[in-house]
Amino acid sequence: MTRLTAEALIVTRGGRPIVDGVSARLTGGMFVALLGPNGAGKSTLLHCLAGLMRPDVGRVLLDDSDLKTYDLRSLARRRAFLPQSPRAEWPISVERLVALGLTPQLPAFGGLPVAMAARVTEMLAQVDLLDRRDQPATTLSGGELGRAMLARALVGDPDMLLADEPLTGLDPRHAIDGIVRLRGLADAGKLVVASVHDLTLAARFATHIAMICDGQLIAFGETATTLSSALLSRAFAVDACISGAGTPIAVVDFVAR
Amino acid sequence: MLSVSHELRRRLVGMLALGALLVAGPVFAAPSAKPQRIMSLNMCNDLILLMLVPRSRIASITYLAHDAVDRLMPGADRGVATNRGTAEELLLHKPDLILASPWSSSVARRLGKQVNAPIIEVETAYDFEAIRRVIRQIGSAVGEPARAEALIAGMDRDLAALAARPAMRPLRVVAWTGDGLVPGRGTLTDAIITAAGGINIGAKHADNSTASFGLEELLAARPDAIMQGMGSYDAPALRENVARHPLIKRFFAGRQIDYPDAYYACGLPQTAQAARQLADAFARVPRGGPRW
Amino acid sequence: MSRLLWPAAILLLVAVMLLSLAVGRVWLPPSAMIDGLLAPQPNLASLILIELRLPRTLLALIVGLTLGLSGAVLQGLLRNPLASPDLLGVSSGAALGAVIAIYFGLASVFPLATPILGIIGALIAGLVTFTIGRGGTLTLILAGVAVTGLASAGLSLALNFAPNAFAAFEITNWLLGSLAERSWSQLLLATPFMLAGMACLIVNMRALDALTLGETQAASLGIDLDRARLLALLGTALAVGAATSITGGISFIGLLAPHLVRPFVGHQPSRVLLPAALFGAILLLVADIATRLIPTDQEVKLGVLTSLVGAPFFFWLVLRLRRTSP
Repeated sequence: MTRLTAEALIVTRGGRPIVDGVSARLTGGMFVALLGPNGAGKSTLLHCLAGLMRPDVGRVLLDDSDLKTYDLRSLARRRAFLPQSPRAEWPISVERLVALGLTPQLPAFGGLPVAMAARVTEMLAQVDLLDRRDQPATTLSGGELGRAMLARALVGDPDMLLADEPLTGLDPRHAIDGIVRLRGLADAGKLVVASVHDLTLAARFATHIAMICDGQLIAFGETATTLSSALLSRAFAVDACISGAGTPIAVVDFVAR
Repeated sequence: MLSVSHELRRRLVGMLALGALLVAGPVFAAPSAKPQRIMSLNMCNDLILLMLVPRSRIASITYLAHDAVDRLMPGADRGVATNRGTAEELLLHKPDLILASPWSSSVARRLGKQVNAPIIEVETAYDFEAIRRVIRQIGSAVGEPARAEALIAGMDRDLAALAARPAMRPLRVVAWTGDGLVPGRGTLTDAIITAAGGINIGAKHADNSTASFGLEELLAARPDAIMQGMGSYDAPALRENVARHPLIKRFFAGRQIDYPDAYYACGLPQTAQAARQLADAFARVPRGGPRW
Repeated sequence: MSRLLWPAAILLLVAVMLLSLAVGRVWLPPSAMIDGLLAPQPNLASLILIELRLPRTLLALIVGLTLGLSGAVLQGLLRNPLASPDLLGVSSGAALGAVIAIYFGLASVFPLATPILGIIGALIAGLVTFTIGRGGTLTLILAGVAVTGLASAGLSLALNFAPNAFAAFEITNWLLGSLAERSWSQLLLATPFMLAGMACLIVNMRALDALTLGETQAASLGIDLDRARLLALLGTALAVGAATSITGGISFIGLLAPHLVRPFVGHQPSRVLLPAALFGAILLLVADIATRLIPTDQEVKLGVLTSLVGAPFFFWLVLRLRRTSP
């Protein structure tokens, strides 16, 4: 099973610590919702966990080996990353966009092998974009692009998915569909870490909650036990009422304090 | 007896007066007849001026003249002030005669009025007849017609000696330097080539201008020799690069004639010597055309 | 569509190359050409064909491939349809390097000096543009303009202090860009550098594709971005530097060629690279043929022709981008 361990990570920018001594042990099968106020350092932490940014202090271990020791391509095969608001810079077709997710498996030259092309088709079907496969990616709606990017991330069958605000800007229907998929991945044994702002959805579908405040991990554990009004009050300065945390019918109501 | 003395006395007085005038005449006539502060605004005119008048009568010549003077008559411009054709210099030198060219005459005319100096516009000489006209014109303007005629006579002697040589089969040549431009009909180079007994194959156009003449055209024209200007430009240039084109080296080895640029830039009495040198070079070109 | 494209494009290239061999200031009827080639002794037709037109055609081919390829790679790397070696100042840097080599006499002592100094000039210019121009289209183009301005200032300085009026005329003339009168030795001198540059550029294919998703996702897909940038810069400097040192300033081919092939091959960068190279060669050959056919007294310079056609296209591109950008 995949094990991703953060050991006392510290990242400073301009003298201030953005990530301040975060340690955590994440394993496959977890869907970790990364919560916290704006500017808490969630994005930076995700980049460090993905190996896209080197922490100033501390290290990240994947299966007990430091991320630094992995070569870029083998790491890319095991871990997929989705940044905030991913876009396609050229109007290539949806099919080609999804196929880009197979880059770590491809040699330096040459087209897509037939077996891999089949995988792309399968992925398009799973995210329900098969009828849009030849459409230029730049003409997709927000929800469709989000699904296409998710397909891109998953087409290579990675062990881990780290996503920075994957649900932001999606309408309720697409947001629910998205987070259900993420939970499904975790149930299938993958490690999923995603930063979300919707507390209700996090309460319903995440297996674990990680709360980041001012760069520090102030809480990490299973949703049912970790998500509490005290925690939300401390992190967001809101009075919250939580019912059914960790179940598919959880609700989080809150008012500003 | 007295009547004869009167006659004699009158004749004596007349002769004395005549004698006095002959002696005193030039002293009184000189300041109004010959300009003493001549300013030239054109390189070719500079050179002719240096050959006609002593340096003390030259107010200034152009700064471009020095290189040519070094090649043609070293030391002739020692101590002569130079100008760049600016208004300040004109007012500074206060010339009493300005030699201009068709290009510089408008500036000269405007400013010459301020210093009250006459302006002589001298044409550019493109053949030997024009050289004679120019030398005569400048000679009379500076008050040295005799010296002008002497220079012309020297040039004509050289030309006559050239014409008196045994006739050779005329050589087809082109003054080609690889930048695609060749002197055509009506240029000074053309006149020199003709005087030396050659045929300028660059003269395919009726007017004075230079024409485009690439390597393909050169090969198709198959000249007996290629003339290349040397000497003025010591600094490396692209021309050398193309002039050393493998084709030229291969087929025109021994058929390249270097000519001194300085003698071809201006129409001067020395141009006849240039024609003579060119004729000598023609004689050294191997028989028959380039081998292909 | 793309099944037919490649054979059609190659056929077009071959046709244009044959046309380039057939056309020149001296008209050679085809029969004369064939007779000339078959004759054992050198003759006018064989000389013109083999010593003049063949190296010129091959040079146009390689320089065109180079310019088209580097334009496509730069556009892919910077995700910017306005990127090209001339707009990013690389060509100007190369021109300055070459002028220094020629006019300071280095070239007459050491023939390799011209392409090498051209490459160094291109490299420095490219480095400065890449470093200063990080942060969006506007910054990049402005950095390119600034670097071009700097290189132009250097060239103006060289003109100012040219040893004589003729040298100044010659520098200006050379900068206009031309393939005329180039010899086999020049072709053989520059070709290894151009091929090496093209190799560096082609190796980047996968990286350019991955960059479609932006730098972060590309990095997450295992692409070494620093290596990709370095190879692109090095490849462009080698290829464009060597090409410019022989031809002078030829612009807009690198900008035009990728745009002309995108309607046929799509926008995926790796699919654009080789067709853009091919089209760059076709464009340059056509332009060079045109310079030989236009019936003016003085031959129209190749760089002038490409500018006359390329600049209006650049305008059109800017207008189109204005419409589609937010």
